[in-house]
Parts: sequence; C-alpha cells; structure tokens
Amino acid sequence: MRYDLSLHMGYAYDVPASNARHMIRLLPLEIPGRQTLLDGSIDVSPSPEDMTTFTDFFGQPATSVLLRAPHRRLDIRMKARVLVEDCPVRPENWTTLRDLPKELAAIWSLDPASPHHLAAPGARTPYVPEIATFAGDMTQSEQTVREVAFALCDCIHREFAYDGNATTVDTTPQEAFRLRRGVCQDFAHVMIVALRSLGIPAGYVSGFLRTNPPPGQERLEGADAMHAWVRVWCGDAMGYVELDPTNNIAAGADHIVVAYGRDYADIAPVIGVLRGHGGQTIEQAVDVVPHD
Amino acid sequence: MAKAPAGDLDRRRREPGLDYAPLPGIADEMMDGDGGIRPAWRQFTTALAAMSEHQLHERFARADRYLRDAGVFYHSYASEPHAERHWPLSHIPVLIDDREWAIVSEGLIQRADLMETVLADIYGDNRLVGEGLLPPSLIGSNPEFLRPMVGVKPAGGHYLHFCSFEIGRGPDGKWWVLSDRTQAPSGAGFALENRVATTRSFSDLYAEMHVHRLASFFGSFRETLQAQRPSPDHRIAVLTSGSANETYFEHAYLARYLGFMLLEGEDLAVVNRQLMVRTVAGLKPIGALWRRLDASYADPLELDQTSHIGAPGMVEALRSGSAMMINALGSGILETRALLAFTPAIARRLLGEELKLPSIATWWCGQENERNHVAANIERMVIGPAFSTRPFFDDQGQSVLGRSLRDTARERVGDWLATDGAKLVGQEVVTLSTTPAFQDGKLVPRPMSLRVFAARTERGWQIMPGGFARIGAGDDVAAIAMQAGGTAADVWIVSETPVATPTLLPREGTVERAAPGSLPSRAADNLFWLGRYTERAEGSLRILRAWHQRFSEAADPRQPLLADVAGYLEAVGIYAASSGVPAPLLHSIESASYAAGNIRDRFSPDGWLALTDLARTARRFHETVSPGDDAAHAMTVLLRKLAGFAGLVHENMYRFTGWRFLSIGRYLERGLHMTRLLGHMSGADAPDGAFDMLLEIGDNVMTHRRRYNVNTTSLTVTDLLALDPVNPRSILFQLNELRTEIEQLPNAYVDGQMSEVFRQIMRLQSGLAVMTADDMTKDGYVKLERDMEYLSETLARTYLA
Repeated sequence: MRYDLSLHMGYAYDVPASNARHMIRLLPLEIPGRQTLLDGSIDVSPSPEDMTTFTDFFGQPATSVLLRAPHRRLDIRMKARVLVEDCPVRPENWTTLRDLPKELAAIWSLDPASPHHLAAPGARTPYVPEIATFAGDMTQSEQTVREVAFALCDCIHREFAYDGNATTVDTTPQEAFRLRRGVCQDFAHVMIVALRSLGIPAGYVSGFLRTNPPPGQERLEGADAMHAWVRVWCGDAMGYVELDPTNNIAAGADHIVVAYGRDYADIAPVIGVLRGHGGQTIEQAVDVVPHD
Repeated sequence: MAKAPAGDLDRRRREPGLDYAPLPGIADEMMDGDGGIRPAWRQFTTALAAMSEHQLHERFARADRYLRDAGVFYHSYASEPHAERHWPLSHIPVLIDDREWAIVSEGLIQRADLMETVLADIYGDNRLVGEGLLPPSLIGSNPEFLRPMVGVKPAGGHYLHFCSFEIGRGPDGKWWVLSDRTQAPSGAGFALENRVATTRSFSDLYAEMHVHRLASFFGSFRETLQAQRPSPDHRIAVLTSGSANETYFEHAYLARYLGFMLLEGEDLAVVNRQLMVRTVAGLKPIGALWRRLDASYADPLELDQTSHIGAPGMVEALRSGSAMMINALGSGILETRALLAFTPAIARRLLGEELKLPSIATWWCGQENERNHVAANIERMVIGPAFSTRPFFDDQGQSVLGRSLRDTARERVGDWLATDGAKLVGQEVVTLSTTPAFQDGKLVPRPMSLRVFAARTERGWQIMPGGFARIGAGDDVAAIAMQAGGTAADVWIVSETPVATPTLLPREGTVERAAPGSLPSRAADNLFWLGRYTERAEGSLRILRAWHQRFSEAADPRQPLLADVAGYLEAVGIYAASSGVPAPLLHSIESASYAAGNIRDRFSPDGWLALTDLARTARRFHETVSPGDDAAHAMTVLLRKLAGFAGLVHENMYRFTGWRFLSIGRYLERGLHMTRLLGHMSGADAPDGAFDMLLEIGDNVMTHRRRYNVNTTSLTVTDLLALDPVNPRSILFQLNELRTEIEQLPNAYVDGQMSEVFRQIMRLQSGLAVMTADDMTKDGYVKLERDMEYLSETLARTYLA
C-alpha cells in the first residue's frame, strides 16, 4: 500500500520563547522488505538558525534545530510518501517463555536490532511490581512468547478504556495501569513493562495509522494523531512481532513505522528545550491517505 | 620466606617511644611483620616518638585551623540540604616507599590503558561482545550505556583523561584494585588540601624528608589540555552541577588552582555545533570541558530529558568533535561492578598480558558456573548489585556479607541467585592493611584504602604521587566495613634521594595573562546580585539603626517621625516595632551569601568567611534581639561586619570585569535606596527630625555641619544627599560611578556607537548632574527610581542572560 502522509505540529507560546532547541523524529523509517520511503521532508518555521540531520542509535533520522531569536510560534511540518508491504504471518516454530532466556543469552551482539537493548527498564518504562504481577498471573512458562504477547495485548485492549483526557504525555505506566485508561502511548508503555517483567525484550514503536479504513472496516483508534505500538522479541528464529494494544491487532499494512526505541523517551516525535516562561498551546494534525 | 635471623632482628629499627601494635595477621603500613618500622617511615616515626602529646595536638590544631580558614568542606546529602561538613582529616599521613609506588603506578597505567581500550570498544566495534569476552546484557541493560554516544569519536582521540582507582593491600602485602572511577572522579582537589593541611602539622619533617610533590602532576595535566585546544581563544572549563553538589568545594578549588573557568550547564550554549560559554563579552568557544556531573545530566535533548543542569545540544557538539570532554560521556559504564569479573580475561585478550595489579575477585551471577561458585562459597562473599557503579564498601549498604545472612536466608541463596542472578555479583571478602591513626592520645591501627589519580598527559598516563587515603572508623579490617565512614589522610611517597619541588606558579619568562572578557554571564549575574543584596542589607540596617535609636529614647512608635519611617519600611515588608532583626533584612543577607556561594571560585576564603560570619550573626540576632536599644546595637554590629566584607572585597578583589559587576550592583542599589528615601522624606511636609535622620542614615552629619552653616533644611539635605558629586552616598555619585564602570564593560561601544545600556546611564547621569536642589520633586524621584530600575533590566538583558 502506498500512502501520502502529512503532519503539522503547531506550538503557540504565551510569552515569546528563545534559545530553543528541538529534536525532531517524524520521517517514516526505511525498512528493507517492509517499508520504503519514496519521498519525505521536514519543514520548520520560523526558519532555524541551524538544522542538522543525523541517524540515531536505533536507525531513525533525527533532525536537530536551533532557534535562538525570540518567537511566538513554532510550526513543524512533515510530508512523506511511503510504500508499505503487508507482513506475512509465518506460523513456524515459536519459542516458549521458558526457552527464551537461553536464546537471548546466545545472542552475542549489541547491534541496534539486538534484543539486549530492550530487556531492561527504560526512562519511561521502569519496573512496576503490580504490572509484573498482572503479567505473571496470566502466563505459563510452556506458552510461546507469541501467545503471551497476544494475550497481554488482548487483555490491555479489553480492560483499558481509550480516553484522551485521562492521561498526559508525562503519565507513567503505573498511573495508566491504575487508571485502566489512556491513549496509545500509555497502553504501549504498560505492555512493554509487562513483557519485560516476564523476561521478554520489548520496545516502543512510533508511527502513523491510515486515517480512513478500507470500505467495510471500522476506523482505528489513534488515526487522528501520531500512533504508538509495541515490538516484541519472540526468540531467535522468529525475531520481532509488532502488536498494537490500542486496537488489539498485529501491526500490518495500515501501520507506518517512524521510529523504534526502548520507550517514548528514546523517540518522542519532538523533544524541545527552550528559554521561556508562561504556557504554550499545542495542536497536531495528521493525514494518512492511501493510494492504490 | 624464611624468618630473619635473630641477629638481624636486633639491628632492625624499633621506636621505643612509639606505643603501637598492629593487629595480628594484618599487614600494616608502618610496621612490618616482625615489629620493625618500615624504612620509609623511620625518620617520621623517630620525630613522632620525640613529640609530647601536647606538641602533637598543637601540630594537629595547625592543620585543622588551615582547613577551617580555607573553608574546606563537603556537602552531605544525608543531612539537611546545604549543610557543609568540615573535611575529616586524619593527621598522620600514610608513608609509602617510592620504589613500591613505581610498581603500583605501572600497574595503574596498564589499567588506565586497558580502560581506554575497553571503552573505545563498547562505544565502537563491540569486538569484546562479539568474541564472547563481555556479555551483551551487561552493556545492553546498563543504565550507564549511553546510546547517543555510540560511534561518536572523541575530540583529541581519547575517551579517558582523568581516572581514579581505589586500591587496598591484602594480608600478603600485595595491592588490589577495589574499584575504578572513570565517570567524574572526585577527590583530587581534596588530596591537594590534605597535603597542604598535613604539611602545616609537619612542615619540618616534610621539608627534611624526600616526599614527592603533587604539583607537577596537575601541571602536566593542565599543559596537556592547553596544548590540545584548537586555539588559545578556546576556553578550558570545569563543569559543575552547582553549589549544592557534594563536592562543589573541590570543583571551585580545582578551577581556581588550575586557572580554568568554573561553569554550570546554563553557562553553556551550542551554536553551529560548537560548544560555547556565554560570557559578558558574548559567546566564546570551549576547547576542553572537565565535567564533574554525571553524563546522563549533560544534555536534556539527547540524554536524561529531566535534567535541568545540562546544556541542550552538548551531544551534538561532541558528535561534531568540537570540544574535548574529560571524560567522554558514557565512560561511567566502566565503573559497573560486574565488569570487574571480566577484566582479567579482557586484559589477556587486548593487552596479551596479565593485570599487573589484580582486581578484587568478582563473579557475575548471570552465568551458571559463576553463580554456582558464589552459592557454594557464600561464606566468603560480598553480594551486591551487578550494575552498581559504586564500590561495595561505599554503596549505602546495598551490598551484604554472605556470612551475615541469616540461616534461613542462606539456604535460599541458590534460589535467589537463580532468579536474580543477572542483577547480582559476588565478590571475595577482602581485608585491608592498617595504618596508624591518632586516637585518644595514642596511635592505633586503622584499616585504609587509597584513592589514586591518573591523568593523561602528552607523555602518556601519569599517576599522582600520593592521592589520599580513606581511614576506617573502627578496627574492622574487612573492606566492607569502610561503609561505616571514617576520615581521610594524606599520602606521602617517600624517596631515599632528593625530589624535584615544582609549584604551579608560573616560571619566570613564561607569564601568560588570561584573555579578558571570559567572565561567564551567570557569574556576572551572581556578582551583580551580591552587590545589590549587600547594599540592600546596608540600606535597611542604616534606617533600622536610626529608627531603633530614636525608638529607645521615645519608646512610642506613634511619634510622628517614627510612625512615618515605620510606614516607609512597611512598604518593603519590615515591621520595625515588632522585631529587632526583621526577616526581610535576614533575607537580603542570606541572598548575598547564596549569590556568593555560587561563585566561590572568585572569592578569597577571607571574603567568604566574612560573609558567612555576617549571615550567622544575623540569624542569631533574628532569634534573640528585641526592638529598641538592643536592636540599634545589633545593627551597629552587623554594619561593622558588612563593612568588613565590603572592605575585603574593595581592597583585595582584582579590578576585572567581575569586580565591575559587583560594583555596579552596589552603586545601583545604593542609588535606588537614596532615591526612595529622599522621595519619601525630603519634602517640606516631612515630620520633625526627618532631615537629621536622613543625614544620619546617609552617614553625613559631620559633612553637613562643615559644609552648610545653617540648620538642616529640605534644600541642604537634598543638595548633599542627591546632588553632591563628591559625597559617596549621594545619588549623583552613584550615577557618576555607574557611568564610569559601564563604559569599561565589554561592548560599551558597538561599532563606535554607544550601546543601549551606556546610552541609558549617560542620559540618567547627565540629567541629574544639571539639577539643583530646587528642581528635585517627589515626582522627579519617582521617575529617577523607575529609570534606574529600567537601567538594571537593560543591563541584565545585555550581559547577564
């Protein structure tokens, strides 16, 4: 499937901001065999004093911009055209939870795709005992990692309410877990914490969903803004599987990957530090249009 | 080794005057196994034995006085914030033969080289993981592994420039490495202060004995950094997390000692991928940064996003290789305890040789065989967190002695290790050697470990000849007992032959003046506010003294003049009649101390002591002094102390840009004080006695008497306090001085044109200079006050942001 993507993030500052520096991760990722970036650009207004793009540890192009002069507004726009293949499901030899540690220990690599990066708690995904209990209670060591992951995904989808007003971008997995509410970021974080507590390496995926469903299908939650889901390491043979707990589905041709990380902190779409006081208003608009 | 024959024993040096007995079976630094004094110690112990206890105490007191006067302290996070503790010196130095030290040094140089190679591999090709020498989970799950730094080649080619090692001596006399410090090792400055203090106690012995000096170590390090920067315009700086840090004193001390700038994150800016410092003369490039904060705080954009003490863009600057970082961000990973288990094999692989100084035996329980070994030998193990970056004897009790586990717990050790093994290490229980410490009138053996420093210089790694010794509080020689705290001692490396005695003072002919205009904006800001707060305090003190003197006579606060001035004070939150030393006054003094505390590197210890003494006295008076005569007296005492501080600053502070900002702060505040006061009290409707009181507050009673042959009137008081250019308390005097100082600031003229600040002060000053006493109205004072506040804002925007 080919998509035309556009995104606009607008920031309005009550008091002019200055000495601002932002790190932007918005362009879809190039993933051989799955996702091809045909065209893409990032535009920042006002025009930055300095703007550089580099590839971060996990392979995502990150753009750093500097705006020293006082400004009342900041507008970041991304446009891209991307080709996404459907990931075929390969019902082969799935590793059991019991065997996973041995397979993990046999991977002597630290390259960006190594599951060793996704095993430990991260800045936004600390170990939470009650989530560990929740995950432990519903699993058995004979189950395959894939079954465990799907069960967790299903359980979070069933027990948690999608509610854009219950949480904020800074909500912790523990808070979201107690509320049993939140948005894609919260569900992904809770699921990551749960998986890691079972010894399953898991990471965060940021990206887009197609805005309007194919005829006859329901519109997916989270299509009006950037989306997030989870990447699960299922063992040496099968590698990673991506699950979307917000919609209780495996990520497929409707999911466009922007970045992989340990959690939101690694790959937040825009990280900014600026000098200013007073509040700010943020608006976000996303459009994902399929072309046949 | 065979025991020495009896004849030899007789010839050994013993010290009959020295009542000292090492612990049985434990190596001692001063005495060998047969009770003889080791050669390096003999001259020292002979002298010591000849001293009476009284003499010793006198000598120790000299060291303590030095530490107190120099203001050597460290913060303790455990107690209340900002509590400063005096440095706990154990007065007897540890003496080590320089031939033995050469062996230690060789071992540590090998280790520092190994550390560099391992770090380059972890942030580079990962061959150690690929070859199975380093388990990937120890890196991948390690919070000190900073992914944004992977693949970033350090400027200058090296990751490590300054490290420290904690070493201890086992019962067989051999040294062990207990831990490596590679992130931002502290203690080198304290080692210097230990040395200065200890030589105060034993100046005669230090001069006579051949003790290796510390200065050349720091000199070589400084020279190396200076030589490596791209140009002399590139600054070298110490980056501190601020005055609340545990070892802030040391940051300020080292910056002062080495002539580096002392900066905080907000002093830094990154422009065009170059690390810069904001100074009052604009942005200046940084060539090398000696960071004393943990790497994750260094950049909120790419590292810990919650950090408020870093510099956004720092990682980007490093990625482009624009500044040398001491040590590279991410170097803290080498401090991971579990890595000690792998260093011996890594040394064999990378260096092709064994470690010359072995590490303490360590087993990572994430591996089955190692886990079983630890479980089977739990009695001889210390169990602790695998990813801890603190040594087991200094990790706030996170490590436990296997044999101290209760029986039930011990039975379950196997399960515990099997479940949580990857997070745990076992380390062999080691004992330390003892060294003499003076306690209750005699020398007693106390366990000790050494902290040794290594600096990369143009001639490779250099090891500081000395460092400092940590001395245990009790006589438990198990290394883990050092958790209980203790004291620190100087370490003398003693030679049989004379040693070089360099100092860090510049040699003749090599004098080099630092480029002007390097004052960081934050330091200028603190100096400016220090000036304003001290002057604000003085203004309040003078008014309050005059008020309380009159109050103690009249005893009636409703008397018109007292009521009028009380009303004036109430506007700034001071209720004269209800407290002797009011809270807002105390606040001004404490704010001055706080501002000064942020720029300790720019103050002489004398100035700092004068200020802390003032603050202490003010706090005490705040609790005890009551209105009236008591308060008037208290104000006099505080004024005298304040004058003492001002005098120290005036007489001793170098007349550089920093001094100008301090002075500008004072002139501005004094001008504001007098403007407000005159605006309130100088009119024709002022109550009886107001003019005399004004003169007293302005310290101008005598001058007025000499200059004007009439009684005080509104006009004479206005003339003297507002418009007299030679009266150091008049408004015009402040504006004249402000004009002079501001003209000397960097960029007072931009392309031959006056800057905005300079233009403002020129307008203000000339406007007042042409006035006569008749012209001065209440509205005029109000406008003058507003214009001065506006000047302050423009100044802050131009230089202090």
